[in-house]
Amino acid sequence: MSIVLARIDSRLVHGQVLEAWVPYVNADCIVVANNKVAGESFQRMVMQAAVPSSIKLIIGTLEETASILISTDLLRKRVLLLFANSDDALKARQLGVEYPKLNLGNMHSSAGKDRYTCTIALDHQDIEVLQQVEDQGVTIVSQCVPADREQNWHKLIRVGGR
Amino acid sequence: MKIMHRPKLNWLTFLRMYLRSFLLQSSWNFEKLQNLGFYFMILPGLRDIYGEEVPEDVRERHIDYFNTHPYFATLVAGTTLRLEAGSRVGEEPSVDAETYKSMVMAPFAAMGDALFWGGVRPLAALIGLLIASQGSLWAPVVFLLIFNLPHLFFRGSGLMLGYVQELHAIETVQKCRFPDLAIRLKESTTILIGVLCAYLSFKGCEHQELPAVWGFVILPIVLLFAWLAHKGVSSLFLVVLTTSSLLLLALLF
Amino acid sequence: MVAVDYLLAGMISVLTGLDRVALVQIMISRPLVAGPLTGWALGNPLVGLEIGMLLELLWLGRLPVGAAIPPDDTQVAVGATVLAAGTGHFVGLDGMPLVLLSVLIAIPLGKFGQVFDKLARQVNDRLAVSGYNALMSGHTAKMERCHLLGLVSFGLASLATALVIVLVGTFVLFTFAPVLIGAIQEAGLSLQYSLILVGAAVLLGTTNVNRGISLFCTAFIGTLLVLWLR
Repeated sequence: MSIVLARIDSRLVHGQVLEAWVPYVNADCIVVANNKVAGESFQRMVMQAAVPSSIKLIIGTLEETASILISTDLLRKRVLLLFANSDDALKARQLGVEYPKLNLGNMHSSAGKDRYTCTIALDHQDIEVLQQVEDQGVTIVSQCVPADREQNWHKLIRVGGR
Repeated sequence: MKIMHRPKLNWLTFLRMYLRSFLLQSSWNFEKLQNLGFYFMILPGLRDIYGEEVPEDVRERHIDYFNTHPYFATLVAGTTLRLEAGSRVGEEPSVDAETYKSMVMAPFAAMGDALFWGGVRPLAALIGLLIASQGSLWAPVVFLLIFNLPHLFFRGSGLMLGYVQELHAIETVQKCRFPDLAIRLKESTTILIGVLCAYLSFKGCEHQELPAVWGFVILPIVLLFAWLAHKGVSSLFLVVLTTSSLLLLALLF
Repeated sequence: MVAVDYLLAGMISVLTGLDRVALVQIMISRPLVAGPLTGWALGNPLVGLEIGMLLELLWLGRLPVGAAIPPDDTQVAVGATVLAAGTGHFVGLDGMPLVLLSVLIAIPLGKFGQVFDKLARQVNDRLAVSGYNALMSGHTAKMERCHLLGLVSFGLASLATALVIVLVGTFVLFTFAPVLIGAIQEAGLSLQYSLILVGAAVLLGTTNVNRGISLFCTAFIGTLLVLWLR
């Protein structure tokens, strides 16, 4: 199994992922690791409707997806792994999911978060959590779509949010 | 406040919402994306359901963050209004209007992107280009027709489908297998790209008074450029590269 | 009536620009349509069509998705057509070389479009806040006005992009045309075909379907064989 892209994207399965990233990294399997979505049958149905039948879609809780990712089930798949937020990315890592690089896609703004790029809003806790992920040897970059320039997240933090 | 009969929307309301859907993205913003647009679109429907004074909580939930493919927005609007109408008579669906919106917007956006931006539009553009290569001004007309017949139909039928079938509309959407249809359209597009490239190569050889077999030289070059584009090299760079090498050749020989 | 022509071209710049995101989206914003429309305003739709063909495929694969802002190929087409069908005549150039030069000058200037577009969306951020406040305090009509005001910022952004392309473009055209004219005339038709081929290659590279390359190659070889042996 190889995780060809691990990404934090609060919108999970949407256009940027399916139209831009899936072809770019040549993924044939999408794993959505999110406890909330895993329990919502309606939302799972909607997501399934959005993914072409040639791509395998797995939606599960963090524990479920971690055990699938660690097992040999997806040995020959090129996996695109999606998290909704920074906490999930850290928890998956702690559950033993090895991804060398973490892409920050969309982390949309809510009260108390500062916006660092057009699509990324973080609060102190996010930054702390991401720092912990990085301390485990993960390179963290921000890149909305493949056509954008890849940027190390420290550059964003240094510039500061608004 | 509960009432006895589920409020119904009249046909004029549907027409007004259909027309308003064309203004969905007029105030597109980074903060909440299409939020004002969505409220603007469903306002006639909300007035049919709640009367002139739309309650505060309803206003609050429909002016929040919203972002989906503009052509799928009418489908969301249809279901949303049906759920709102149902809530007035105390119906309790498995998913309420607010949750419904938050769940469908991203996947619908993906479907719309694949189907319209990735599928229908390039195919229509390729057909338009093949006509344009004959120097015909019908090219833009044909392009607009091929693209907009499905587009305009989709917006209208989405609104009705969402309203009539409520949450079950998703089952109809799933049955349509739009992502697979999008792939078929993309495959057709790549075939037409091949036809266009071969035609241009042939015309190029004719112009240079070379035998047409030289046209095959173009094939690996196009593939190389396609690979570069796939790797994220910008169109601007490729244009500059092509132009400067051709100008250099022209100056040298 | 030259002034009326340019006024009409300005209106087309705004309308096609709005069609990109803000209004209707029936794809009159595609270069293949925006080019001929602008050309028609200036009395030469065929020049616009040629420009539209050169530009149509280059950014077709860049999706107007979410917050990602693709290069403004609409105003590049409008601007290049104004250069080729309008101001360009004064440099003593004509026909395909002028079309090519206009397009080549307009393409890099299209970068300004992204800047203005972003600006418009930031202005809309403020509109969204006042629209929200208006609605929550019960002023529905004011909220609707705020929403529609977004059209103004998007429209102005488009017009500004077209103006920059035309003004800077005219200056560049006058400066570089004498230097480049010989080479452009020489390369002429090959350059025209090559630029469309670049666009086709970019679209091929960004439209990823599993069997894409083999479908493309088969279609290419088949078509060329038919044309060759016919």
